Amino acid sequence: MNDIKAIWQTARADNLPSAAEMLRIVKQFRNKKLRNKTWSIVVAGVGIIVSIITVSLTPNLMLSTKAGAACVIAACIVLANTNIRSIKRFIDLKDCSNREFISFLEQTRRNQLHYHQKTQVAGMVLSFTGMLLYLYEFVHKSLALSLVFYTLAIGWILFMWFYQRPRSFKKQSKKLNETIEKFEKIADQIK
Amino acid sequence: MPDFETIYLTYSPQIFRVCMGYVNDHEQAKDLTQETFVSVWRNLSGFRNESKISTWIFRIATNNCLRAIEINKRTVKVELPVNLPALQEESDEEKLAFLYRAIGELEEMERIIISLVLEDLPQVEIADIVGLSAVNTRVKIHRIKEKLAKKFRSNGQFE
Repeated sequence: MNDIKAIWQTARADNLPSAAEMLRIVKQFRNKKLRNKTWSIVVAGVGIIVSIITVSLTPNLMLSTKAGAACVIAACIVLANTNIRSIKRFIDLKDCSNREFISFLEQTRRNQLHYHQKTQVAGMVLSFTGMLLYLYEFVHKSLALSLVFYTLAIGWILFMWFYQRPRSFKKQSKKLNETIEKFEKIADQIK
Repeated sequence: MPDFETIYLTYSPQIFRVCMGYVNDHEQAKDLTQETFVSVWRNLSGFRNESKISTWIFRIATNNCLRAIEINKRTVKVELPVNLPALQEESDEEKLAFLYRAIGELEEMERIIISLVLEDLPQVEIADIVGLSAVNTRVKIHRIKEKLAKKFRSNGQFE
């Protein structure tokens, strides 16, 4: 074993960043991450606030339009909340052993498999309903316009619901199941 | 509490070697080492000395390695040559490459445990990092050493 240890120690680690470079990297990393997060929160927040103000201040808007906008905003909140909760789980994770970490990852991915798709369905239903309600005010006075726009909208919804959604869910489930399987295999190694 | 710079200078070569043992890929090991120290830097103020600082850092590093599975960055597995005659004058680089390949053939947790053993960490600390009992860790270390020695012997080395 001592021979093997001697070989192991010959690994060169001299091309790692110097301490000063590493400090620069960690600061850059923090700034970049914070900047990205701040920007996405600002953009989402401004988007929601502008939509709420536009809808509530525009005079004589039909109830269906207001309800439509509310549905779309609710869809955004549902999807954002799922992502924030998933990120928070990792942030809240304290110092833990490999065994605890593997079981945490396994559980996180299992939760994702069960709940993520459910919230995605909720988000899709809300945004589709919102879109159909929102359209009504602009097309309801003309039968031809209503037919064209509602055919297009419903066609798009059917395509997303019956083709795109099952495809992307299948892909997600496959990936998550493979990941869970790998974690199960590793968990077996720490028994 | 040592400052970040001291911690980095003390532990980065060890962390790099452990990551290298796990992934057998120089660039990925470098990335994992950097990710480890980004986590260390971010959480250093919250570190409450509940465990040894080395245990804490090795836990972050090995957990990072385990999580690499999710992004499908996998170790490039190279089959070990069978019945290859031992080289008379093998260079240090060749010996090291053989060692990494031999470790790369082990299971994920075995790779982590043997890397920590080769870094001369006490068994109690390895048990703490991995999350096994001391007895179980000792048994596992013994088995992994046997496996590794067998691979070296079958390649005609260290006889």
